[in-house]
Amino acid sequence: MSAVPAIADVSYDALLEDPYPIFRRVRDTAPAVFVAAANLTLVTRFDDIMRIERDSATYSSVNPASLVNKVMGPTFMRKDGAEHAAGRKAVEPAFRPGIIKEHWAPKFAAICERLIDKLVEAGEADLYSALAAPMASLSLMEMIGFKEIAWETLALWSQSLIDGAGNYSRDAEIDRKAMEAGAGIDTAIEAVLDHHRAHSNPSILSAMVHADPPMPIEEIRANIKVIIGGGLNEPRDAILTLTLGLLADPDQKESVLAKPELWPTAFEEAVRWISPIGMYPRRVAREVDLSGVTLPEGLQIGLCVGAANRDDRRFADPDRFDIFRAKQSHLAFGAGPHFCAGTWVSRQTVGRIMVPMLFERLANLRLRDDTPPLVRGWVFRGPISLPVRWDA
Amino acid sequence: MPKIIFINADGATREVVASTGQSVMEAALAAGVSGIVAECNGAAACATCHCYFDSNAGCTGEIGEHENEMLDFAASERTADSRLSCQVRVVAEMEGMTIRVPSVQ
Repeated sequence: MSAVPAIADVSYDALLEDPYPIFRRVRDTAPAVFVAAANLTLVTRFDDIMRIERDSATYSSVNPASLVNKVMGPTFMRKDGAEHAAGRKAVEPAFRPGIIKEHWAPKFAAICERLIDKLVEAGEADLYSALAAPMASLSLMEMIGFKEIAWETLALWSQSLIDGAGNYSRDAEIDRKAMEAGAGIDTAIEAVLDHHRAHSNPSILSAMVHADPPMPIEEIRANIKVIIGGGLNEPRDAILTLTLGLLADPDQKESVLAKPELWPTAFEEAVRWISPIGMYPRRVAREVDLSGVTLPEGLQIGLCVGAANRDDRRFADPDRFDIFRAKQSHLAFGAGPHFCAGTWVSRQTVGRIMVPMLFERLANLRLRDDTPPLVRGWVFRGPISLPVRWDA
Repeated sequence: MPKIIFINADGATREVVASTGQSVMEAALAAGVSGIVAECNGAAACATCHCYFDSNAGCTGEIGEHENEMLDFAASERTADSRLSCQVRVVAEMEGMTIRVPSVQ
């Protein structure tokens, strides 16, 4: 067994710009490597992350030092075992497969129709701001059970919480914005809670107040914040990444348009290729050997699923977007007890409704030669700009 | 400690001595049975531990509402024998039982 090696010569900007060469280097160096720029020990191999996620007694989600708890409160994302399971079970009714198909899918399709109606005549747009961001925000708002909030407001809250949860430099302005977002969310919850108590419905807030026992208000506030911080940019980025992958490869695009039954496969490949959540943290609860490297008790580790999903021990030619690659499960939705609660919502809506509708309604959709797309991030990663044209 | 026989889609068989009380998924995973992915590790959230049990065996327990809906999302065809193996507890009556593992999860 050996100690955790360190990499000190990569910059944080390089991670944001293109983390994949760094992930590859970490993966080829050791099972766990301290990356100074991230101030975190990164785990990047597929099999190691799978093993870690099956052992929450050793690799805990509970972290007293986590800024998530400070910014959001006592959320089930940072709990283990029975405590986590209770919170998860309380929100489960809103994520039931039957509810997704019968309730959320038609609602999200209608939102998507409206957004496309508004931009179809323009002939060009940045799909980030014109479609994906409002789409993700409006659909999340519906699922939570909020009323009459601008999509921009929910998007701002989401970003402010994410920034606050990652504010390890303790920037006062970032802290202030996160607290302001938190207060806004608490007010928005208060405004609709009586309605949900009186009228049981498929929304997340309704599920929380009608759970047995009902979720305490401080947990409702914290968990709704986690859902806002962690449920908006993922569908937004998945919409854009799938669209980008297909637009950048006309042959694959033509294949999917000719055979719509390929959409689900294309969606899975998109979130493998550029996983919207690239990294999430765990804490080593007791000294352990991870594939030959000793991880000391208390060590903070970052599980880089964005790296594991490009592990060439599992995926051939991993950097390539290839909807025809051999079917192989990926880690874009995580694994273990914290497996993404929104997995099936995104599979059913992003992959089967939103992106197909985009290609169907915007004729001859194509990238622009003069303004290339921009993709950024490593903890969260996706296109931050996707300028396109179509035949209006 | 009943002996359960897993049969893969290609016909390969695997005998597993399972502990009562654990889930069939856990028993399969511990023994390294191929074809069972179990991404969510037993939360009935991923539908990647789908297996075919003899629906007349009478020892696989009731199918839950959530499991029932999740099975509609399984990658392989759903039949009357379909269950999520993470939701089925190993009991002594399973001695000699065969469980079929689908070709894809």
